[in-house]
Amino acid sequence: MKRQKRFEKLEKRPINKDVIVKEWPEEGFVAMKSPNDPEPSIKVDNGIITEMDGKKREDFDLIDMYIANYGINIDNAEKVMATDSTKIAKMLIDPNISHQDVLAYTTAMTPAKGQDVINQLDFGEMIMGAKKMRERRKPANQCHVTNYIDNPVELAADAAEAALRGFAEEETTTAVSRDAPFNALSVLVGSQTGRPGVLHQCSVDESTELQLGMRGLTSYAETISVYGTDRSFTDGDDTPWSKGFLASCYASRGIKMRFTSGSGSEVLMGYPEGKSMLYLEARCILLSKASGVQGLQNGSLSCISIPTAVPNGLREVLGENLLAMMYDLESATGSDQSFSHSSMRRTWRFMGQFIGGTDFICSGFGAEPNPDNTFAGSNEDVYDYDDIHFLSRDYGQSFGIHSIKEEDAINVRRKAAEALQVVFKGLGLPTITDEEVEAAAYADVHEDMPKRDKVADMKAAQNMMDRGITAVDVIKALIDGDFKDVADAILNLQKQKVVGDYLQTSAIFDEDWNVQSAVNESNDYQGPGTGYRIYNDPDEWKKVTDIPQVIDPEHFDM
Amino acid sequence: MSDINELVSNILKQVDNSDTASTQYTGTANDSSSAAGKQYGVEDYPLYQKHRDIIKTPSGKSLNDVTLDDIANNRVDRKDLRITADALKMQGDVAGAAGRKTLQMNFDRAAELTKIPDDRLLEMYNALRPYRSTKDELLQIAEELKSKYNANICAAWFEEAAKYYSSRKKLKGDR
Repeated sequence: MKRQKRFEKLEKRPINKDVIVKEWPEEGFVAMKSPNDPEPSIKVDNGIITEMDGKKREDFDLIDMYIANYGINIDNAEKVMATDSTKIAKMLIDPNISHQDVLAYTTAMTPAKGQDVINQLDFGEMIMGAKKMRERRKPANQCHVTNYIDNPVELAADAAEAALRGFAEEETTTAVSRDAPFNALSVLVGSQTGRPGVLHQCSVDESTELQLGMRGLTSYAETISVYGTDRSFTDGDDTPWSKGFLASCYASRGIKMRFTSGSGSEVLMGYPEGKSMLYLEARCILLSKASGVQGLQNGSLSCISIPTAVPNGLREVLGENLLAMMYDLESATGSDQSFSHSSMRRTWRFMGQFIGGTDFICSGFGAEPNPDNTFAGSNEDVYDYDDIHFLSRDYGQSFGIHSIKEEDAINVRRKAAEALQVVFKGLGLPTITDEEVEAAAYADVHEDMPKRDKVADMKAAQNMMDRGITAVDVIKALIDGDFKDVADAILNLQKQKVVGDYLQTSAIFDEDWNVQSAVNESNDYQGPGTGYRIYNDPDEWKKVTDIPQVIDPEHFDM
Repeated sequence: MSDINELVSNILKQVDNSDTASTQYTGTANDSSSAAGKQYGVEDYPLYQKHRDIIKTPSGKSLNDVTLDDIANNRVDRKDLRITADALKMQGDVAGAAGRKTLQMNFDRAAELTKIPDDRLLEMYNALRPYRSTKDELLQIAEELKSKYNANICAAWFEEAAKYYSSRKKLKGDR
């Protein structure tokens, strides 16, 4: 065929490198509703759920049993299950009905009922739902802090810059798992240098992650994954009871934690049992609720290519975020993995979460260029900062981050690297040179950093764990190195772990260590004129409007 | 602070007036806690601002007595900056009063686990993972939780797991 010139050019557009597929329900390639999904149902006898979503109690698998025993508010269940799903869906966007009144219904739904309610909503209605059902009044954001060679000095500098930019939480992970103690330590020092009160985690295997938290080297955990089918869960090497116990282990050490799940994971693992992604995710959300965790990170996450390959994929992703909120959980809403070649599609990936406002709009945003993102690249990275600031300014909507001055970034990066330098010295770890500190202040990518002896670092990281180094030792090293303000921030973080205020739902800290959670700063949105609006928050509004790119009309040469 | 208080009292009013899921968890439902026998509510939160005098470290230190100076002079043990069972029960009260029963149950389990050494706790977690333990091994841990740590809620958790792992084939050798 002779090619039509416009079609020829269209074919070469970035969007056409994205892979999309036809629905295939038998293999779970269906976003919101599969013919194999069960119909919502419940039977309660003497306070015990004897039938749920068409299955009798004797046929329950471990996930069903766990949800039935712990996840559903049984007292309201029969009434709610008999309520038309459209009616519950309407409550989500009705400004006359409060957040709390909606929860009375939505926390009593079975997985299939939750799925059915979400299926009544279009994308705009989901945004409205998120506005009301988000737990914390003010949205926040989370970033990734990593680099391809686990360079600790650059990690500290990037963590500090990201903290200064406003991220409330920072998540690191490793290129090589044995580097984990250094990564945790570097981001601890960097984040508290950038802005006291920022929380941070190190995403590694379950046991190591818990150990790092126990040592005070991290302050929260997130990558505690749950899955929606029994075989996937077992393949993930856990059961609902082991995950629930792990949740309590974290709380017993005063460490904030949330679970992680996401549509498409069961498809990737090969055990979707022919169910839709939304139904399986509803099970994950209820599992999390049943475990008594305060929150959940979901929104397909690293599996985002799966739901976005089928129709209604991104509607489903916002739907699962909203469903977590409807079960009274903190919601960290993904947008943390690159999936599209198209800038337009990439932007729309987070528009629902951004305009609706969630507890953590991204989880997370790449605080390094994508080639240095060892989570395999985020949907947004450092080169998107200014685009985001413009969008916040355009829409009068918080993204949880703001513009910073170049000289402030250089200074805070240098200070974080210097603070880590004295910590390494105090703890007897391989030397950080002045040259490395200076490079970190100005670095963008890991290639900008002087090379370190990787083997020596790795050995020292293991040795640091063997020696039982804790946050107390880090504080001592900072005092000895004359970084009293950073030492004080890390001490405050440890004190907060003793008190546990930040174990409550959706908790973060401001720079003065005031906790903001769903208990004391709960979302009071109930229609126009209510709730958090960044344009009514003078300090924050100034940070997103008064930015270096702005031209003052007085100096504008007409 | 007045804004926060107003907000909290509004929430309480709202919860009290509705025959919702949440109401059952508010008020005086929980009689098993707490630290000093007092029932804590959302108005007591944040505890750091409102009850710092009550919160202690595991060795009984007041938080105001943990300073940079104390750390510089080795007066703080590495493991002393940890949450106690009492603080977790207080947070459980707050969670329950805010309508979050499952979060409160988690904090109740956690309160029992504060006494268990890190290494043993990790072993217990690993024992609950699929195909790791026989039914007897899980029940032995339940017994240990009861007799050694007075951790009755967690013991029941292990007993429940043993029962369902047995019927749903997640015990050692079931693979």
